[in-house]
Amino acid sequence: MWQIVVTELTQATHEIVAEIARFLPRLVVMLIIVLIGWGAAYLVKWILRSILRLAKFDRLSQHAGAAQLLHKADLPSPTELLSRFVFWLAWLAFILIGVSVLGIVGLEEHVARFFGFLPRLFAAFFVFFFGLLAASFFSRAALLAAVNADLPSPQLISSTIYTLIILLAVSMGFEELGVAETTVVVAFGIIFGALMMGLALAFGLGGRELARRFLERRFSREKKEEREDELSPL
Amino acid sequence: MTPPQDALWYKDAIIYQVHPRAFYDSNGDGIGDFRGLAQKLPYLQDLGINTIWLMPFFPSPLRDDGYDISDYRSVHPNYGTLEDFKSFLAAAHERKLRVIIELVLNHTSDQHPWFQESRSSRVNPRRDWYVWSESDTRYREARIIFLDTELSNWAWDPVSKEYYWHRFFSHQPDLNYDNPAVREEMWSVMKFWLDMGVDGFRLDAVPYLIERDGTNCENLPETHVIIKALRRRVDQEFPGRMLLAEANQWPADLRPYFAQGDEFQMAFHFPLMPRMFMGLKLEDRKPITEILQQTPQIPENCQWCLFLRNHDELTLEMVTDLERDYMYDEYASDKAMRLNLGIRRRLAPLLDNDRRRIELMNGLLMSLPGTPIIYYGDEIGMGDNIKLGDRNGVRTPMQWDGSWNGGFSAADPEALYSPLMLNPVYGFQAVNVASQKRFDHSLLRWMQRLISVRKSVPAFGRGSIEFLYPANHRVLAYVRKLGKETVLTVNNLSSSAQAVELDLRQYKGNILIEMFGRNIFPRVGELPYLLTLGPYQFYWFRLRKI
Amino acid sequence: MNVGEVDILVGVPTFNDAKTVAPVVQAIRAGLLKYFPRQRAVIINADGGSKDPTQELVRAASITDMVRAANIHALRTLHCISTQYAGGAASGTALHTIVAAADLLRARACAVISADSLSITPEWLEGLLRPVHRESFDLVTPLYRRHKFDGLLVRNLVYPMTRAVYAKRIREPHPPDFAFSGRLAGHFLGEEIWTQDIARTGAEMFLTVSAITGGFSVAQSYLGPKARVEHSSSDLVPAMRQTVGGLFWSLDPNFAFWSAQNGSQAVPTFGADYEIALEPLRVNRKHLHQMFVRGVADLEPVLKTILSASTLAELQRVAALPEDDFCYSDELWVRTVYDLAAAHHKTVISRDHIVQALAPLYRGKTYTFLAQNREAPAEELERNVESLSQTFERMKPYLLEQWNGQK
Repeated sequence: MWQIVVTELTQATHEIVAEIARFLPRLVVMLIIVLIGWGAAYLVKWILRSILRLAKFDRLSQHAGAAQLLHKADLPSPTELLSRFVFWLAWLAFILIGVSVLGIVGLEEHVARFFGFLPRLFAAFFVFFFGLLAASFFSRAALLAAVNADLPSPQLISSTIYTLIILLAVSMGFEELGVAETTVVVAFGIIFGALMMGLALAFGLGGRELARRFLERRFSREKKEEREDELSPL
Repeated sequence: MTPPQDALWYKDAIIYQVHPRAFYDSNGDGIGDFRGLAQKLPYLQDLGINTIWLMPFFPSPLRDDGYDISDYRSVHPNYGTLEDFKSFLAAAHERKLRVIIELVLNHTSDQHPWFQESRSSRVNPRRDWYVWSESDTRYREARIIFLDTELSNWAWDPVSKEYYWHRFFSHQPDLNYDNPAVREEMWSVMKFWLDMGVDGFRLDAVPYLIERDGTNCENLPETHVIIKALRRRVDQEFPGRMLLAEANQWPADLRPYFAQGDEFQMAFHFPLMPRMFMGLKLEDRKPITEILQQTPQIPENCQWCLFLRNHDELTLEMVTDLERDYMYDEYASDKAMRLNLGIRRRLAPLLDNDRRRIELMNGLLMSLPGTPIIYYGDEIGMGDNIKLGDRNGVRTPMQWDGSWNGGFSAADPEALYSPLMLNPVYGFQAVNVASQKRFDHSLLRWMQRLISVRKSVPAFGRGSIEFLYPANHRVLAYVRKLGKETVLTVNNLSSSAQAVELDLRQYKGNILIEMFGRNIFPRVGELPYLLTLGPYQFYWFRLRKI
Repeated sequence: MNVGEVDILVGVPTFNDAKTVAPVVQAIRAGLLKYFPRQRAVIINADGGSKDPTQELVRAASITDMVRAANIHALRTLHCISTQYAGGAASGTALHTIVAAADLLRARACAVISADSLSITPEWLEGLLRPVHRESFDLVTPLYRRHKFDGLLVRNLVYPMTRAVYAKRIREPHPPDFAFSGRLAGHFLGEEIWTQDIARTGAEMFLTVSAITGGFSVAQSYLGPKARVEHSSSDLVPAMRQTVGGLFWSLDPNFAFWSAQNGSQAVPTFGADYEIALEPLRVNRKHLHQMFVRGVADLEPVLKTILSASTLAELQRVAALPEDDFCYSDELWVRTVYDLAAAHHKTVISRDHIVQALAPLYRGKTYTFLAQNREAPAEELERNVESLSQTFERMKPYLLEQWNGQK
């Protein structure tokens, strides 16, 4: 009996050693890949940063108000942030490739899913970013127009538009990511709908005067309001 | 004698205006004469003209180039005898050339025996033949015509110590047409020449025959009565003879001289002439189309006389001040060229001796509605001499060849009635009939071709005119129609190439036949008809439906 | 166009101007007939797509009655062409059409007359075109007899700033009626601004700037009274886009030129000098003050990014003053404008928004101007404008500082 145990143990040990022996090269390959990945990711980060600098990405994000947001959160500039993010992403991708080489079953599927996820992540970022840009542009335009047209509470109008566009962008982004799609869409729908309903009611009932003045000014140019001897600053 | 087979012959006439003195000297005295003129009739026949208009050749002290007449029934000895004239007339008729002579009705020379008698005393029987007055204040509204020389229409006669009336030079007293004796005498003068066979008269200065206080003494109704009477007698005894009026008036004021076709058969269209020159300089058809549209209709048997230049200055009386200033600045920048509200230059110098412009203007002359008159020498492009006084610059001797005196006379150059043109551009060596006859492309040859084409198309002389108004204002286009004959003329008034689209829809289906080369141009379709023209170029097209 | 070469071209940009265009075109024709009878002339109407019968009125405007009365007779055919340009009504496109036509037809002298110049007389044509046609000037801007409270935008901002920046005292740098030479037309067509969107609105401003920077000779010509056109409050922003927007835009490409200029030179003037009409006019300024105060408050987030901190603080202090004590000083105004010009150059936010943000601030300045000059005679008004202009000139180094400075 003792002999069987010894033989089995020896055999088992042999097998384990063989496994390890088979595993070690793969590990080495993985480490090499990870190393190369680090180098490649750094290169990508460097290239991206140059491109973004050339395209004056910082300026654009300043217009979007993204730069200001990041500053408040004590984060580095958008170019820097994006470059670093891309660096980590790229390196992570290489690490995952390395891991898949290891041949651990089950992991490969996840890796594939991760790579499938990447484009949508980028798309979502774009949507967020440009949504931010549009929101700040249009809210500012509305603010200026309202002030110049002498409408009451221009800041309210401006922030309303800002919020609406942000909401829209966020919803679209989340839908893109596939995170809590239905919830977000429905929630957005409810909020948006309610807001619109409220505005309609306001216009219809409470904002009668405002609406009337607005419409008059728009559509009946001939009957200009006569403020007595009002001198146009022109 | 050429019997008047066609009572309206003057509608097809091509008139050549010439002074016997200036054409050809046969006897070597330095002055042209009738024998010489008769010798040159073949040249005129060759040219293609069919009517000769002779400048005044009656006896005269020649202080107004023969318009001051001292004998109505003779020929000035400088130009020959009455017999010479009769032979010339016969020779002309033989070659089927008609002859029109000048008759100055309005005034005579102060050397005329009638005036000599009239002024001799206040009770002379011929006193009443002229217009006398104790003061010079009558007829104040009448304008002075020779502004550069005369200060008043009245002149003081030291002999009979009264004023006499003269619309022109002071040595040309006006006859008194209120006197029936004067009227009878003038008729008998006309009869004298008509009996001889003369085909018509150019009656000089007709608007001024009668004077009345409180008027401008022009175009008065009494004048028309007199003319009508004369015309009646001419028609009765000499049917087919023609009366041509010289009346420098606006077309509307000229109209009465045609009356109902019972006064003058022809009259000069004075206002058109400066506008042709104006349109050319402006490169705009507007002056020409406007004046022709303002021209009234005239009776069927009447005709306008068109001309580019004549023995007088290019008169600018019938234009506005703005237009006159423009013409002066453009055509007579040298003030010496200006005279009596006009420009005393010949055709070629006015057009800068530009062959294309000369051709264009002659083309217009031959295609606009009326009978064209060619001034002698303009068919070879003679120049002028503005250093000669008055209007004598355009009355220099005809240049026949490059030989002695330009072939005009055998006399010494100093004996010539007028100096010849000698400069290298217009001098007789450069511009003369003989050299132009040698080359097919000369102006003379071109004029011959032009005249022959013109004669082949009665529509030019007798047809209606309708202007086309293409968008390109630099192109003057009009259609002449007579019966079934339709002719389209297109003229480029500008110095640069032009394209023009003509609305010829009413002539759809016709082809255009260019009349000089007889080449066929495309058929007229629905679309506007596109033509391109070189600088100053013109087309004459016959429209045919084939 | 079968017009061929012309000597004189008169352009009339229109858009729904049926009420005023017929007498304007008649006056132009009369002026051409009277003062330029021998020249080949054409009137070109560049229309932006009018829905009313503007174009028909232009074509039909004839002066037959006038001709008969004055016994003037036209030597030449006068062409009158009415054409529509694409892309919707824009004064810059209209100007481009007219300038392109002038270049194509090789016109020696061209004029542009605004379709609402109700006070136009035939003498305007002579006043504008003679310096170009006979005395070889390249650009002739008008001088009007304006009411003292008319043309405030030009008096308080466009004129002084143009004068300070480009060193030429042109009173109407964005002129409604003006004349230019064929030479300048050719040069102007070759400018790069036509590829930009700003060309649609600010082109007249650019013409003036182009003439100055290109070394062309500029003159002013006195035309006479300018009829007051009733503007509504909402016309201010589009007008500012054209004038101020155009001016700010021009600063970038011409930096090398204007940064080297110092002081300002007068420009040769034909006819009388600038005149001011002093008819009494009741004026309600209160609303202007309100809009200024509200503007400063509501636009704070925007103003923070485009004005320098000290300017904004000063503005807020001034806005807080009671109305009777309110005074928008010349210096503060110049600082405001220069700050915005610099922000415009750096494109801190959208350029159009910067111009829009100026509007309520300008209203405040207008309020001060009206208060200052309510009883003032013409000389005093002129002095005030002159002193404002000199302030602009004096503070030019500040502009350069802001221009080159850090964000």
